[in-house]
Amino acid sequence: MDYRITVAKKMLLSKKGSLLGAVLAIGVGILVISIITVIFLGLQNAIIRDLKIYQFGDLMVTDETGLIDKSDQLIIGWFESNSRVIGATPRLTSSTDIEIRKDGELIELFGVPIIGVDPLRDPTVSELHKTVAEGEFVNSRNSIVVGSVVAEDLGGIQVGETLKLIITNRVDEEQTEFFVVNGISKTPGGTGLDSNLIMPIDTLRDLIDRPEETGNFIVKLTDPDYSQEIKELFLLSFSNDDFEVKTTQEAGRDIIRNFSSALGMFTLIGYVGLMSSAFAIITIQMMLISSKTRDIGILRSIGTRRKDVLIIFIIQGLIIGLIGASVGTAFGLAFTTYAKVTNMSFAGSLELEVEYDFASTFSTALTAFTLAVFASIYPAYKATKLQPLEAMRGV
Amino acid sequence: MSKVLEIKNLYKEFGEGDTKVEALKDVSIEIKKGEFILIVGSSGSGKSTLLNMIGLLDRPTRGQLVIDGIETSDLDDNQVSLFRNKKLGFIFQFSNLLSDLSILENTMLPRKIAKKTENLVSEAKELLKIMGLEEQLDKLPTKISGGQLQRAAIARGLINNPSIVLADEPTGNLDSETAKTIVQLMKTMAKKFDQTFIVVTHDRDQFGEVDRIITISDGRAFEADNTEMEVMVK
Ligand SMILES: Nc1ncnc2c1ncn2[C@@H]1O[C@H](COP(=O)(O)OP(=O)(O)OP(=O)(O)O)[C@@H](O)[C@H]1O
Ligand SMILES: [Mg+2]
Repeated sequence: MDYRITVAKKMLLSKKGSLLGAVLAIGVGILVISIITVIFLGLQNAIIRDLKIYQFGDLMVTDETGLIDKSDQLIIGWFESNSRVIGATPRLTSSTDIEIRKDGELIELFGVPIIGVDPLRDPTVSELHKTVAEGEFVNSRNSIVVGSVVAEDLGGIQVGETLKLIITNRVDEEQTEFFVVNGISKTPGGTGLDSNLIMPIDTLRDLIDRPEETGNFIVKLTDPDYSQEIKELFLLSFSNDDFEVKTTQEAGRDIIRNFSSALGMFTLIGYVGLMSSAFAIITIQMMLISSKTRDIGILRSIGTRRKDVLIIFIIQGLIIGLIGASVGTAFGLAFTTYAKVTNMSFAGSLELEVEYDFASTFSTALTAFTLAVFASIYPAYKATKLQPLEAMRGV
Repeated sequence: MSKVLEIKNLYKEFGEGDTKVEALKDVSIEIKKGEFILIVGSSGSGKSTLLNMIGLLDRPTRGQLVIDGIETSDLDDNQVSLFRNKKLGFIFQFSNLLSDLSILENTMLPRKIAKKTENLVSEAKELLKIMGLEEQLDKLPTKISGGQLQRAAIARGLINNPSIVLADEPTGNLDSETAKTIVQLMKTMAKKFDQTFIVVTHDRDQFGEVDRIITISDGRAFEADNTEMEVMVK
């Protein structure tokens, strides 16, 4: 083996404390970045996952100009004739005012979004029905599911109680209707429809005087990989209409964008941390070199060139970088695996959707490795400035 | 016999102005291949300075230093390193060996640097065996005695067949018994390989008969023995 590698390795191994310090500096830096990634990416994926199962489906059909006026049968029929579709269901959104009265006196009036669902189809497409923590999903015409946040605002309304809603229809008439609370909907992290009211879509259509109209259709596929294909097929079949179809990813784009910038910022902080690991390496290697000046002097006296001294200490940077990046990556993957198998949740409620992101794991490792090597350049350069005589006399 | 070293009108000054020290003054010496040379003189006279000049570990202020026919003042730092590696062997009083390499690895180092690794392990082992270190091959320098360290340094000094082996007080740190064996080893090796040795010492008696003795006094070089002989001849 090249003597420079032997010398670099043995010198480094003789200072196990320094080596450990340098390796930990890098390793912990990588671990921090991994933790940030697991949390942010996990949170983003968890939110997208929940939006998908509660609101977006694999595909979501809307009309660019407003409500969809095609019949349920037509749209659902089209989708369900495709073997890759599990189901499709209509949804309609509106809002209502709720009065809170005490002893007949109005205390508060507040607006709540309402979502109309098909009580029979919806459970085949969405998991919204599973968010009903108490009671049952909507079934009869005047049954309603109250989001837990709304229920709270209503002073802790219970299943079986009656709720009076005032809804303004398309011609600005106020319609008052009484509902029986069928269930309370609650999701961990509030990613579901905890701030909404859920009622049968036909009831809502009647109340707002929009029979046959639909806000959107959500579609569940046998495999989300077919999203794009079926989206294109649909748009082709209805090319004369103003339909817009979004895949889960497209529907969640704004959320992803916000998360990406947050993730980007925190990752940047992680990388700044990694930079300080690089400074730690510089300090550690400077210490190592000052404890080895005599050896450097001996090497120089027997013919090691300045260039070789540089190489020796950069090799040490390579070794530190290699071990540090490996240890850090191992830490990071261990944490990711831990988060995955324990179904780690964010703030104690929302279960993170943890994924292995090998591309970013690799690029983080590569960055850390490169930083370690770069960090060794300055100490290595300093080492080349040692004159053999002074080096041997010193210490 | 061929000249391995030719020093002409060599000066070395340290510092400037009031603190200026003229460590070597107009030193001229010629040394032939195979000579065993002692450099003696009182403390601070300039012995180490001269040896360091010859070893290209420091540069003279003025004058010529020719080793193996090569004028060394024109060499750049890289060439000087190469030159030290190929032409010179070093034995110092202290700190000869790299603390993290074994005795065998330390011995082989000059040849590894020179990338002349053919038969290296066997030659190094052979040399260390002559030095009586066959049991210590894999030990670290911290695990052997001072005398053994100096023997290893001799082996390392010889491994690359240098033109000159330079030794600055190689026995200065040893008890007289051990010193004697080290001197003996150096002299034996000098004979065996027709190897030029230039050795700085405080204790010329330790060395017994040598080819030449150069005395440094206040930065000037004299060859006491030769002068005496010349006087006797006249
Ligand atoms: N790097 C230096 N800077 C300044 N002065 C120096 C330096 N090296 C040597 N000197 C001076 O040069 C003179 C000769 O020193 P040198 O080390 O050659 O003496 P020496 O004969 O080897 O002494 P000793 O027997 O004590 O080793 C001394 O006066 C010393 O102080
Ligand atoms: Mg001296």
